[in-house]
Amino acid sequence: MLNQPCMTTAQTTTLLRCETRYFGPVEYDDGSVLVFPDGVPAFEEEKRFIAIHQPINEPLIFLQSLSRPDVCFVTLPVLAACAGYQTRIAPEDLDALGLETREQPVIGRDVLCLAVLCVEENAPPTANLLAPIVVNLRTRCGRQVIQTDSRYSHQENLPVAEAACS
Amino acid sequence: MLVMRRREGESILIGDDIEIQILHAGPSRIKIGITAPKCVPVTAKEVKLVRQQNVAAAQTRSVAALRAMLDQLSARPGGEK
Repeated sequence: MLNQPCMTTAQTTTLLRCETRYFGPVEYDDGSVLVFPDGVPAFEEEKRFIAIHQPINEPLIFLQSLSRPDVCFVTLPVLAACAGYQTRIAPEDLDALGLETREQPVIGRDVLCLAVLCVEENAPPTANLLAPIVVNLRTRCGRQVIQTDSRYSHQENLPVAEAACS
Repeated sequence: MLVMRRREGESILIGDDIEIQILHAGPSRIKIGITAPKCVPVTAKEVKLVRQQNVAAAQTRSVAALRAMLDQLSARPGGEK
């Protein structure tokens, strides 16, 4: 479970249980729920997610919908997908996330910034670096931000071992 | 693809009821105005790409495929080479 010390309302820990796509039933703390007021594109009704990360699957983070067990996005922190990644989040999106609109948020300090992965059989995995999922670490409000001014694609190849050896 | 040259303030018509007007042309971006019937959805292309990508992302993957991918990721600390 994501354990960033961000939620101040969860004085008393309430453990809840949900079904997940990959891990069977999982218990989660109500205070760790990430709220996406607009859902994510194509899944507009999914407004509450939990972030599951496990040592065995480092550095992946699984974004599991709480209302639909079959909806789980496999994500990678953008900096793991692309060293030196820089956000270009529009002021409207920063505002919707409750963030300072005059400057880009600092990844890891202000926001969690995740790239949705697409892993298909017989094809190299890709990461959506055009539209990262950004979560305000203070409020746990999340949004998939489509960066129209980005130099990244929605299907960026991931660094693979062969490339790293060169 | 049909290519047309237009200046600021000029328009393009698509059919009878869709008008695209060049409002402002800057060095690296342009601002356009679109008039279309309500039944015609107008979105930036990126929005559609991201929707399609999310659908594909949510459908794919067995855990086995994921593990195979993980083993290939150079970003993984201690990942096998």
